[in-house]
Amino acid sequence: MILQRLFALVLLAVCAALAVMAWPYQAAFSYEPVGPRAYPLLMLGLMSLGLLYLAIRPTPIVHKEDEPQLDRESLIKIAACVGLLIVLAATFESLGFILSAILVGLPMARLYGGRWLPGAIVVVGMSIFLYWLFDRVMDVPLPLGLLSALEN
Amino acid sequence: MDTLSYLGQGFGVALSPYNLVTALTGTLIGTVVGLLPGLGPINGVALLIPIAFALGLPPESALILLAAVYLGCEYGGRISSILLNIPGEASTVMTTLDGYPMARQGLAGVALSLSAWSSFIGALIATCGMVLFAPLLAKWAIAFGPAEYFVLMVFAIVALGGMAGDKPLKTFIAALIGLFLSAVGIDANSGVYRFTGDNVHLADGIQFVVLVLGLFSISEILLLLEKTHHGHVAVKATGRMLFNMKEAASVFVVNIRCGLLGFFMGVLPGAGATLASAVAYMTEKRMAGDKGKFGKGDLRGLAAPETAIGASCCGALVPMLTLGVPGSGTTAVMIGALTLYNITPGPLLFQQQPDIVWGLIASLFIANIMLVILNIPMIRIFTRILAVPNWALVPVIAIITAIGVYAVHATTFDLFLMVGIGIMGYILRKLDFPLSPILLGFILGGLMEQNLRRALSISNGELGILWSSPISMSTWALVVVMLALPLLRIWRRRSARQRALADA
Repeated sequence: MILQRLFALVLLAVCAALAVMAWPYQAAFSYEPVGPRAYPLLMLGLMSLGLLYLAIRPTPIVHKEDEPQLDRESLIKIAACVGLLIVLAATFESLGFILSAILVGLPMARLYGGRWLPGAIVVVGMSIFLYWLFDRVMDVPLPLGLLSALEN
Repeated sequence: MDTLSYLGQGFGVALSPYNLVTALTGTLIGTVVGLLPGLGPINGVALLIPIAFALGLPPESALILLAAVYLGCEYGGRISSILLNIPGEASTVMTTLDGYPMARQGLAGVALSLSAWSSFIGALIATCGMVLFAPLLAKWAIAFGPAEYFVLMVFAIVALGGMAGDKPLKTFIAALIGLFLSAVGIDANSGVYRFTGDNVHLADGIQFVVLVLGLFSISEILLLLEKTHHGHVAVKATGRMLFNMKEAASVFVVNIRCGLLGFFMGVLPGAGATLASAVAYMTEKRMAGDKGKFGKGDLRGLAAPETAIGASCCGALVPMLTLGVPGSGTTAVMIGALTLYNITPGPLLFQQQPDIVWGLIASLFIANIMLVILNIPMIRIFTRILAVPNWALVPVIAIITAIGVYAVHATTFDLFLMVGIGIMGYILRKLDFPLSPILLGFILGGLMEQNLRRALSISNGELGILWSSPISMSTWALVVVMLALPLLRIWRRRSARQRALADA
């Protein structure tokens, strides 16, 4: 309940900030009666109304049976997983696809309860296979990064 | 007669060896994707968009591939709900009710093949309905001007909330988030940069694939993290793999009834497979009365939701193809794919590119037949896939998702954006917000704004144009009905509670 109120209020603040951001949007010259400002403002306005209602009268969250309560441990794991995904995004081009996939995939396999050796085999094999599959077979270009020195 | 000759032409397209192989590959990929926890039809179709594009498939083959993946995913989701009692997505919740008890009784193979068969009949009924009604609707839809389109889209959004049932407000907010997100980027009419924060990468807006994969794949990966402690053991599929004639005959009437129901529900925007399967199951349960063993492995309880899902999936393609207004999350993704090919779904599609439309319809028939046939030899292999542990699966999902996102623009900015959207999606999910309205809103948002502005340009700013024609008037009436539905439901629930209190 309290989380939901907090979320609604935060999103409400975001809406307000975006509305302020949208205020100066005006076409330099225009042939149409509705400018670029009206539609986003309309959507933000409607969303704010909905959020305001949600903040005042939050609807109860129905928990599924198989959904365990969030504890500290899970939260740390989730933060770690997000961190790994950010590392993946940051190293994707500089290290190249294969290396960054291994760098991120291995700790991620550990995070989900895998052991080092099987995890390493799966992740390394899969990164190379996926690179071959997408880059060579399916023509989806992927960065080679550091490994490009090995080419030729 | 025209329709039949077009359909023949469509079968000509779909039965070409190249497209047959495409459809087979699609159903296989789709089944595997649908099987895996954390991946459903929406991710499956979204992941394949950049790949289909990179492969250089001609548009009709790409569309056939996506449709086959769509149906395959639905089938794959069924396998995990019957064998594991874990519904892959909301629509298959009803399947677990009778499917899992059947599997426990040693009828896993029968349950799977019967569900595929039911879904095939549902899809068949819906496809026939589509063949009959889609051209009519398309002809009628030409009368739609920008004002009517705008109202129609308002209706589609409102219908989402009206039909969704238990949480109309959250559905509505989610749809508005999507509608707003579509406004990010350069405004096509005036050239103003909106909400880009001077970031070049946002100039042409948030990429659809990035939004989908962030919302669905990344948030699902985070959700899976919570569930790693819990092991699930699949029921072994042994014994008979195929249902017999007696079993098929016993559910035939159910199939027909639920197929018609599912088609109707699928055509309505916002209703979709989840509602269709729930309504079908409840109706059949009520009709069977005390004699049925519903919940304990009744064949009818399995056939009813599956037929309805199959029918509504095909039914959902009707508004997408004829009006260009998607009715469900997956069809929203397919519209995204079509726009990549520079095809605008809508009434004119039937006239300008009949090959694509009818080829797609014909390939739905073929993909469904393939799924029934695949069930017999492949089911053991598919059940083995269910045994893949999360620690091997999740890194693969994460990395394939990253590839899918990178393939769109080849910028790492999109990867960061995907992670951000994924976190947002995770929070929204934890707070019980439905996610597919965001997608629908995102797809409809651009169209909605364009049509609104076009309509008001025609009338020179006079708002009256939005309710001047009979079509828009009646659509507004439907909007009011849809807005009233959740209120009515709340009121009925409240009065029922008061009555219960009075009785006590």
